[in-house]
Order: sequence, then structure tokens, then C-alpha cells
Amino acid sequence: MSYLQKLKGSGQSPPKVSLSEVVWSWIGSFFGIAAVSLIHYKLLDQTGLMMILGSFGASAVLIYGAVRSPLAQPRNLLGGHILSAFIGVTAFHWLGSELWLAAAVAVSTSIAVMHLTRTLHPPGGATALIAVIGGKSVYALGYFYVVMPAALGACVMLIIALIINNIPKSRKYPEFWF
Amino acid sequence: MQDKNNVQSLPVEISEQDVVAAMKLIPGYLDITPGDFKEVYQAAYSLAVKRLLTSLKAADLMTKQVQSLGREMDLVKAAALLAEKQISGAPVVDPNGRIVGVVSEKDFLKEMGFGATPSFMQIATHCLNNKACMIGNLRNKTVGGIMTEPPITGIPEMTIGEISALFAERKINRLPIVTADGRPVGIVTRTDLAHSYNMFREGLKS
Repeated sequence: MSYLQKLKGSGQSPPKVSLSEVVWSWIGSFFGIAAVSLIHYKLLDQTGLMMILGSFGASAVLIYGAVRSPLAQPRNLLGGHILSAFIGVTAFHWLGSELWLAAAVAVSTSIAVMHLTRTLHPPGGATALIAVIGGKSVYALGYFYVVMPAALGACVMLIIALIINNIPKSRKYPEFWF
Repeated sequence: MQDKNNVQSLPVEISEQDVVAAMKLIPGYLDITPGDFKEVYQAAYSLAVKRLLTSLKAADLMTKQVQSLGREMDLVKAAALLAEKQISGAPVVDPNGRIVGVVSEKDFLKEMGFGATPSFMQIATHCLNNKACMIGNLRNKTVGGIMTEPPITGIPEMTIGEISALFAERKINRLPIVTADGRPVGIVTRTDLAHSYNMFREGLKS
């Protein structure tokens, strides 16, 4: 296959999902994000602690919107966020004087480690990146960033996914745990 | 009896281990679990089998120059005609051209006093041991007297899947294809069915 032929693409987009799949994706992600942001804004407001991360928006797409994807399974959700958070904080600690380098190393190393540990979860890349570019409130957490918001936030989202995704007949979650 | 209509049953059952092994052959991350892939594969396979079984219709398979025999035709003449045309059976029609039965070698053999499926050697042995060959039994009879009736018939829209199922269920070797008012327009034989596999093979090449 020539380079140009590759660029044209030879596959096709999968079919649109059913309306019930759309509705359940909405319901799941509403409650998933509501749970972490309620804790974040109502309970942790003045404490300097965090429960929400931008990358959770991306996790919501997977664990409430594409529940059968291997990328959306508990192993990937938890493993991806926790490992990437650790790598992100480490990259900031070692390379923080060159933020551009720390950011690139954090994301690329996270992807490599997630592959090696079979925990690939795309939002993990964002979790690693946020550890580097998240500003003072994130830096202040140090390695606690791995526990909270990364691990605990992902756990809360997972609990909501386990509850909501098993209500409709057409869905089951997870496909596998570990 | 083979279960012809159950398209769910696969000739080769795919296992999750097969899927995992196949996924290892494909470089890069595949965003699907082996279980889901197996489910997709099985559903797609069923659809492909269904398409195969409905892709060819009687009208595509049948021999269109169908040789019909009249009900009142003398058996010896009928035998001569079948021999001349090199066919082993034919639809039988009434004076209006409507099908009333099917006559085949089997019917001739039955009438001669053999079972429905004797071998040539059985017939030869019999004729050699008895001076009077049983072929004499066929004299002074008509096609209508020995034909199988009512005839099992098909319509031009019948699919290859339906035809092969009918062949197996009714143990027949030829199926006259008739119009709505019962006039033969063609005939599908086991040979025609066998040839259809060649059409599938050619379809695979493209």
C-alpha cells in the first residue's frame, strides 16, 4: 500500500449506536461527573485538595459512552490514571525546570508504561500532562496527586459506572476486571 | 438430516483463543475485547451465509429448455425421448401444459419390479439370469401411469438455500420450476446445484 493510499483510509466508520445507548451514556456520565465535582466543590472547597481532573471528562466518554471498549475497563481506568499520575509527578519533579520537556516525557512515558502494563487508558495521558502543566494547586499536592484526585476520583467514577452501566438490559460492565 | 436452515451453526467454530492469536498477528492496539470480536464475527458470518443462500435463485440455476412429457405418452416412447435428450427425468404435463407429475428413472425401475434404487449390476445380473428381461413390464403403459404425483415444484424466485433444503428433505434429484399457473419454465437438477458452487468460487476471485 502506497503512502498516499494509506492516507486515503480504506476502512469505514462503525455504525451509529442506538438511541438507548445515547441516553444511557448521558445518564452515566452525568452522575459520574456530578459525583466527583460535588465532592470537589462542596466538600473540598477550601481545603486545597482536589477531586476532579480535566482528564475525567475523557474517562467519562469511555466508561459511560463506550463501555465495551477494553480502554474503558476497570484495570485500564484505575491503572491508567494511577500510573500516569505517578509518572507525571515524577517528570515534574525531575524536569520541572524545563516544563516543555517534563510535559512531553510525562505523556510519552505514560503511554509506554500503560502499554507495557496492559492498562492503556487515553485519559491517563491527560492525567500525566496535568501533573506538569496544572499550576500551583497541583504542584502543592506532590505525590498525593496520585492518591487524590487521580486514584480516588477514578474510583468514584468507577463505582458510578458499575451501578449505572448494569441497569439497562443491553449493557453490562465490566467486560473484565483485571 | 442436516440442519440446512440454521445459519447460526458454523462449520468451524471460532474460539476466543483464535481471536487472541489473530489479534497478536495484527500489529498495533485493537480497541475491542476478544469476546466482543467473536460476537461480531459470528453475527457477520451468519449474515454472509444467509446472503450466500439467498444470492442465487432458481431462475439463475435452472436449465431453461425443459423437456416435458405428456401424461398420455407411451412409456416406451417416453424412454426413447429421455434417452435421446440424455436426461434422466422430466415433468409430466396435462394437455393444457400444466404440470401434473414428475417421471424419472426411479419410476421406470419401480415399474419394472426393482426397488427404487437398484444398481446397474443388480439389473444386469437379473437380466442375464432371466431370459425375459423385466423391461417388458413397461410395454403398453403411459407416463401418467407410473409418474410420481403430486409433483414437488418450485418457483423461479426460490433461493438456492431453499432448493438444496428441499432436495435433502424430500430426497429428490430434480425440481421442476413452474409459473403461478403450473407451467414448467425450467428444471433444477442436482447437477445444476453442483455447478452453482462454481459460480460461488468465481465470485470469490473477484
